[in-house]
Amino acid sequence: MERSKQKQMNESENEADSAINGHFDGRVKIPGWSAGGAAGTPSTAPSSSVMESWREERTRSLEDNELSLPSIAAAYTTILRGLGEDPQRQGLLKTPWRAATAMQFFTKGYQEKIIDVLNDAIFDEDHDEMVIVKDIDMFSMCEHHLVPIFGRVHIGYLPNKRVLGLSKLARIVEIYSRRLQVQERLTKQIAVAITEALQPAGVGVVVEATHMCMVMRGVQKMNSKTVTSTMLGVFREDPKTRDEFLTLIRS
Amino acid sequence: MEYQKAAELNGLCNGKIVTEYLCRNGFSELTVDAKKVAVQHKNETSRKEAEDESRLPALEEAYTTILRGLGENTDRQGLLKTPLRAAKAMQFLTKGYHETIYDVLNDAIFDEDHEELVIVKDIDMFSLCEHHLVPFFGKVHIGYLPSKKVVGLSKLARIVEIYSRRLQVQERLTKQIAMAISEALQPVGVAVVIEAAHMCMVMRGVQKMNSRTVTSAMLGAFREDPKAREEFLALTKSA
Repeated sequence: MERSKQKQMNESENEADSAINGHFDGRVKIPGWSAGGAAGTPSTAPSSSVMESWREERTRSLEDNELSLPSIAAAYTTILRGLGEDPQRQGLLKTPWRAATAMQFFTKGYQEKIIDVLNDAIFDEDHDEMVIVKDIDMFSMCEHHLVPIFGRVHIGYLPNKRVLGLSKLARIVEIYSRRLQVQERLTKQIAVAITEALQPAGVGVVVEATHMCMVMRGVQKMNSKTVTSTMLGVFREDPKTRDEFLTLIRS
Repeated sequence: MEYQKAAELNGLCNGKIVTEYLCRNGFSELTVDAKKVAVQHKNETSRKEAEDESRLPALEEAYTTILRGLGENTDRQGLLKTPLRAAKAMQFLTKGYHETIYDVLNDAIFDEDHEELVIVKDIDMFSLCEHHLVPFFGKVHIGYLPSKKVVGLSKLARIVEIYSRRLQVQERLTKQIAMAISEALQPVGVAVVIEAAHMCMVMRGVQKMNSRTVTSAMLGAFREDPKAREEFLALTKSA
């Protein structure tokens, strides 16, 4: 737990830039701070843009998971009691552990780095037409209510001599969605990660999702969907490219 | 008395007749006697709405521990009030513990000389898996053959709400709804079908996106008479 305590102390130094999740997304790298196995992370000049995010540190490791499991499970037992349930009944006996493991799975994006996922799968290809991967199922957690968000992601990019393995786009979605998220930020993080990795001519990301915090509670609107999009590069400047992308993801 | 047993399965003393139930979290005045259980559950609930506010701080602290344990920074702007919001959300999602069937049904049972099938279908249902604390949601179809007594239609949906807004197992939920209607109306037969998607299967574990779980409870005429069951199933099949 030492590691996470250290992180807590470091966090208080950078509170101004605390809008982004994953701790070190786009933050100044603290000199001398090593998160264990931080290969290839440069010490950068202060720059707090999200563009740094793809080179970020892992904020959580498998050992951290193991170490924090008991305290999370104890917290869940408290929650069960606080809700008026009996944690000793047969159906709930192991629920704190299952719920804790499930929650760690839902936030496993904190354990992964973009650079691990992408490193081998960038290829030089003389292709400069649009590449789209659509209908990628996405599951995330609302950071405000800790309730699931799920939907689909459509990604399109215009390569500039470099293409990416197609499943890597889906893996990028996984890394960023399996976190405590806000849909706007998720969309942007995916787009920026692809931009940083490939330097394409343009990237477009559309996320269409249902928020259980709106469906199961609160306003309780069953059929509402939230759509966010990020257009970078040519997709932002050229309306025709954007049109083509949006038409192709509709069909 | 079957209903009493079903209701005990969650929300009260769960699965067994207990002679004494002392709860550590604030309503230790509820000492349940085996003989008193039948009366107790009709008037009492395992959680009082008035106590929800006082439980919030403990829940908030638990959620803060969880956030820290997951490696997040609880001081960042987006997470500042999350423990409170998550605690309130969880209390809302388990508000079925506040309510009893008798509160909801008492006025809306009418004498009506109707003996044909009455179906209320496509009732949206949202519940929480008791094993992983992750939502499962879907649709409930309820049908019953009245025996001189009909119930207000929205009350069927309210019964679904009471039992689904708890930590549930889909099988038990189906049975509880069926038994509640059975107890309240003494109809000739009751049928309940639930079709739901379980996020614990979709978002984690096996991760099968399109799988649905279907459970049904057939009581009375629906169990004995295949034609009645067929009619119900045919009418609730989505076109």
